[in-house]
Amino acid sequence: MKQQISLDINGRVYDLVISHRDLLVDVLRKKLGLTGTKKGCGNGDCAACTVQVDGEPTLSCLTLAISCQGKKIITVEGLAQPGGALHPIQEAFVNQGAIQCGYCTPGMVMSAKALLDKNPKPTLEEIKLAISGNLCRCTGYKRIIEAIEIAAATMSAQEVK
Amino acid sequence: MYTNEFEYLAPTTPAEAFELVGRLGSKARILAGGTDLVVLMKDKLTSPEYVIDIKNIKEFKGIKYELGKGMTIGATTKISEVQYSEIVQEKYPALAYAASQLGGTQVRHMGTIGGNTCNASPSGETPTPLVALGAKVVLSSAAGERELPLEDFITGVRRLDLKEGEILTRFILPEPSPKSVSRYTYAGARDAMEIDCVNMAVNFELEDDKETIKYVKFVLGSVFIKPLVSKEVPALLIGQKFSDALVEKAVAAAQGEAKPISDVRASEWYRNEMVGNLTRRLLKEAFAAAREV
Amino acid sequence: MQTWDKRETEVTEGKSSYVREGVPSYLDERRHSQVGRSVPKVDAAAKVRGEAVYADDMTLPNMLYGKIKRCKEYAHAKIKKIDCSKALALPGVFAVLTGDEAPNKWGIVPHSCNETVLAIDKVRFYGEGVAAVAAIDEETAEAALDLIEVEYEPLPALLDPFESMARANEVVIHETNPDNIAFHGNQIYGDVDKAFAECEYVLEREFKTGMPQHGFIEPQSALASFDPHNGRLHLWSSNQVPHYLHRQLSIVTEIPMSKIRVTIPTVGGGFGGKGEACPNEFAACILSRKTGRPVKITYERSEVFFTSKGRHPCHMKMKIGIDKDGYIQAVDFDNTMDKGAYASWGVVVMFYTGSMVHLPYKIPNVRSYLRNVYTNKPSSGALRGLGGVQPRLAMEVMLDEMAEMMGISPYELKMKNAVVSGYTAANNMYVPHTEYKRCLETAVEKSSYLEKHGKLPFGKGIGLAGGNYISGTAYTLYQNYKPHTTVVLRVDTEGGVTVQCACTDIGQGVDTVIAQFTAEALGVYFEDVHVVVRDTETATFDLGTFASRLTYATGTAVKAAAEPINQKLKEIAGQKLGCRADQLIIKDHKIYSMYETKKTMSWDEAVDIATSTVGTLVGVGHFSPPRRKGIDIVTGNRIQGGNIGHSPTFGFSCQIHEVEVDVETGRIRVKKVTEAGDMGTPVNPMAADGQVEGSIVYNMGAALYEDQVIGADGRHLNPNFHDYKMPTSMEMPDMFINTLKDSYDPTAPFGAKETGEGAVQPTFPAITNAVYDAIGIRFYQVPITPEMVLRALKEKKEKEAGCGA
Ligand SMILES: Cc1cc2nc3c(=O)[nH]c(=O)nc-3n(C[C@H](O)[C@H](O)[C@H](O)COP(=O)(O)OP(=O)(O)OC[C@H]3O[C@@H](n4cnc5c(N)ncnc54)[C@H](O)[C@@H]3O)c2cc1C
Ligand code: FES
Ligand code: FES
Repeated sequence: MKQQISLDINGRVYDLVISHRDLLVDVLRKKLGLTGTKKGCGNGDCAACTVQVDGEPTLSCLTLAISCQGKKIITVEGLAQPGGALHPIQEAFVNQGAIQCGYCTPGMVMSAKALLDKNPKPTLEEIKLAISGNLCRCTGYKRIIEAIEIAAATMSAQEVK
Repeated sequence: MYTNEFEYLAPTTPAEAFELVGRLGSKARILAGGTDLVVLMKDKLTSPEYVIDIKNIKEFKGIKYELGKGMTIGATTKISEVQYSEIVQEKYPALAYAASQLGGTQVRHMGTIGGNTCNASPSGETPTPLVALGAKVVLSSAAGERELPLEDFITGVRRLDLKEGEILTRFILPEPSPKSVSRYTYAGARDAMEIDCVNMAVNFELEDDKETIKYVKFVLGSVFIKPLVSKEVPALLIGQKFSDALVEKAVAAAQGEAKPISDVRASEWYRNEMVGNLTRRLLKEAFAAAREV
Repeated sequence: MQTWDKRETEVTEGKSSYVREGVPSYLDERRHSQVGRSVPKVDAAAKVRGEAVYADDMTLPNMLYGKIKRCKEYAHAKIKKIDCSKALALPGVFAVLTGDEAPNKWGIVPHSCNETVLAIDKVRFYGEGVAAVAAIDEETAEAALDLIEVEYEPLPALLDPFESMARANEVVIHETNPDNIAFHGNQIYGDVDKAFAECEYVLEREFKTGMPQHGFIEPQSALASFDPHNGRLHLWSSNQVPHYLHRQLSIVTEIPMSKIRVTIPTVGGGFGGKGEACPNEFAACILSRKTGRPVKITYERSEVFFTSKGRHPCHMKMKIGIDKDGYIQAVDFDNTMDKGAYASWGVVVMFYTGSMVHLPYKIPNVRSYLRNVYTNKPSSGALRGLGGVQPRLAMEVMLDEMAEMMGISPYELKMKNAVVSGYTAANNMYVPHTEYKRCLETAVEKSSYLEKHGKLPFGKGIGLAGGNYISGTAYTLYQNYKPHTTVVLRVDTEGGVTVQCACTDIGQGVDTVIAQFTAEALGVYFEDVHVVVRDTETATFDLGTFASRLTYATGTAVKAAAEPINQKLKEIAGQKLGCRADQLIIKDHKIYSMYETKKTMSWDEAVDIATSTVGTLVGVGHFSPPRRKGIDIVTGNRIQGGNIGHSPTFGFSCQIHEVEVDVETGRIRVKKVTEAGDMGTPVNPMAADGQVEGSIVYNMGAALYEDQVIGADGRHLNPNFHDYKMPTSMEMPDMFINTLKDSYDPTAPFGAKETGEGAVQPTFPAITNAVYDAIGIRFYQVPITPEMVLRALKEKKEKEAGCGA
């Protein structure tokens, strides 16, 4: 079944024709060219494909695109700040050396954002839990966790959303 | 991997949903969080013509508690909501804890408690504590509603007593006895994203002497085709004074009842050992907690 | 926190306090300003914005999608018939491909090439590709696979190397190897038997290791575009060895290398798994040639598991002899390896396991018997620290045990035997520089190992292990004398500074390291350097990302390439400043006299003059490693030692793990890791520590739970991240990384060695030794699963009860 739908992605409404079976990750990557969202397993096991749907960290590889109508989707591309500056979470990832191959990074950043949106001052344990579904094979997680701690502090200080 | 082509339907009222589910019957699958169903469909283990998304029906969602009457949990309530609900944490700690141990953050924000039960995987996280807490399921259809103890609803691996046209709409949990405690534990190789090789939950109460066991409901997961409600452990414990020797008897009884298998996650031997060791750990933990209330 | 604008203050502040005794600072070649900076990776911002382009992110006009049909019925079977007609008839399908259309064999090591793009006549492992299709979209391609009909005749599946050798008379996996042995080799140095006879302490043990896979998060993806008008092929692929891929493509497609261009987009991790060609690359190229349209093939996670060539499971016997004074005198090593279905890096890994026994301790007599045996399992190949981690497990665990026999601390035993700079091993491996003893000292001191070892309560333990790894290889995989790396530097007013080299960043950070080297060598800032890399056409030759070779290789080549450019600029500046060119120093965008600071001119001005007078400045630098074997043509003496294992230099490290064992579930949790590493100069200390942290968690997984499980019929039972369990953030231990910041290998470029693979070496044995300290049970096998722990505890209890009775 094909159908025309509208999706609100990063504040922009896209009208597009999709198949009912299309998964959000494929619509983002293939139909819209938003390739920042990565696919590492397609089965929910790595969370590289994490985006926010109505604020919640969501695996786009297990989400039907059609079920996202009327919801607000934010992908890693949507974190850009005015003038192209990095979001404080992104900035912290860069400066802490939390990025090696970078394939897990968009998913990590989106998981971190979903956490900090709800819980601006998370404990170390809460940070670990928030990214416990996100596999990173390169970094050993340490710098990612530190980056999220630093981002939390910066964001609280600057009141960034 | 891609799913088959299907038609997606998203009713917004219970009536619409019952009508669709009734009319489409086995041609349709119900979709909640999709964390099981989409994986199964991608693997072509199921290829329905219709997918009926019930997440937009607000009547199927949410946690309601009334003092003295117990709790109802809507079938499409997210696992994360159960995990973080203060009232669940207070009244049904075994369930809140089990919910917190399911998958990872994303899966808990997507997956629903109804989906976890209806997926009917023997290693499922929440059915075990739900059964221990005496949960009933409400199965609704255009024709009306029926209630069933959860242990009777799940009949086997991916098998349910769900009649055509029915949707699981909510769980009913009885008010816990004020002196009772509930606990959950599991074994797996990691601390996150772990499909349990054994899990178990207990609902436990002591007499006023704080020694004699008044009530036990003890449930094992992942060691049988469905949540296994122990008959022998309560028979051994109720009316007896808690002691290490008694616990050892319960351990042996639990091991006798469990029917684990060997698979890629663990061997039968290990599962059986775990039944023993975790039974010991869980009963002691429950006893210690029950003395404090 | 580092930000790029602060670079100047950081450069001067960070270094002004550094003075090396006995060396005039202006002559101190160790006074670096760009090497040693913890700068963010050059590509970090693009990656964090989701803008870095990985292979599967690419599309080309008119592109088709390819998919590979895999044998999911058997692990070993004859192919009787393949019928693709129905698939070809499906609307949207443009081409199908079967093995017979591309019969040329490929493989990373020329003398053992035995793989074809798709199976011909026979499948040798579960999940092997048998046909491929190209279609308008992935959904159609996938549907077409189901329409391909394959008839098989099953053959017995051999799943264990010993069974495979024993049953070779009935079942042969490759006709070329009637004994099912892929490779075997013996390496004998010294008189091992005589040495054992004179030893006071002798111990013999058997070890077994599991079958972990790389676990990179980005599945392989390849996009090929063949231009029928000029016969040129362009492949973009997620691969870590563009050169070897290039060669293989040429062999398989029969297109000359000069008409093939390989471009590597951003790579989402490799760890060795992308260290050779992969069938999707060939299939995409051939399907593109067949259809005249670009074709992309991206793997599913399960396909990654079936086809990526992970760590060799090893069955090892080791015997160690120590004399009465505590010096290791002899090691006897016997290794039977599980090759899986195809040759891959097998011969290399096998000989590495033999070579790696020779370090990091002084051992005068060593004997290795090695064999690598075909089975009907996924092929084994290159995986981070290849050939090192298995013998390392054996030796470090045994030394722990022998120290106990001798009544001394494992630390003391290891210190006593540790190699020192200038050591030549029995197999002629030469160690120009090592700080191994300081690694041991530092880790022991920082972790309070001596205070804790043997004294922690039951269930808690601490374990020490050391290790080393090569910093590059001495030889190409095919017989050749060419330089292993070539760097071209370009300086002019238009482009500023550009470095070209087809080296491949797979996340480890060579793009950043090469920019830092270039900046240091030319006396500019890291931020000024443009890197042109990962392309066989626009960048210059490099062998690839393996053997932890890139830091050493690119550093050497960059230094050489900078020389002619610096010389020219110094001549220009010398004329203007009125001093000798050879007394000028170029640093931090200035050219100045080493004796008189007022004789200074800006580097940019000199470049301006150069560009206007002689044009763009170009420098070429090569790296050729020293060769350390063969016949000395002057003396006629044979220089003993295999091809494999020689390296220009070596990295060293020590890890101390603290574990807790849950005696009820058998679970081991690594709580704390104290590491000290000698990587020479850390070029980018932040990135280097990141490599070490990543390494620890990486091999912790395979020490405790990561393992591919193959069923009795050869089926892969866990080709997914659900049941192939890799560490999550919840299992991460506290990590204390104490990289020796002042280590400097005077023979290495900028003093820098390796760390990407060395830091995985000590992890298995450190955990194993810690578990022994915790519960008094020594395991000789990894992963140490909860089940193994529980069984062992039970047996121990029963034995103790039995003794008591
Ligand atoms: C990475 C990952 C990790 C996981 N880890 C765990 C884990 O640790 N423990 C665990 O228990 N599970 C785990 N799961 C499985 C899954 O997330 C849970 O079972 C989840 O609760 C399912 O809920 P859902 O809403 O997503 O179900 P869906 O996928 O939407 O549905 C599951 C099944 O139930 C049916 N169904 C759903 N709702 C109803 C209803 N109201 N009435 C009738 N039928 C219904 C569907 O038709 C389908 O057959 C994991 C899954 C993933 C992807
Ligand atoms: S791609 Fe979605 S979880 Fe791995
Ligand atoms: S940086 Fe490579 S997977 Fe996380």
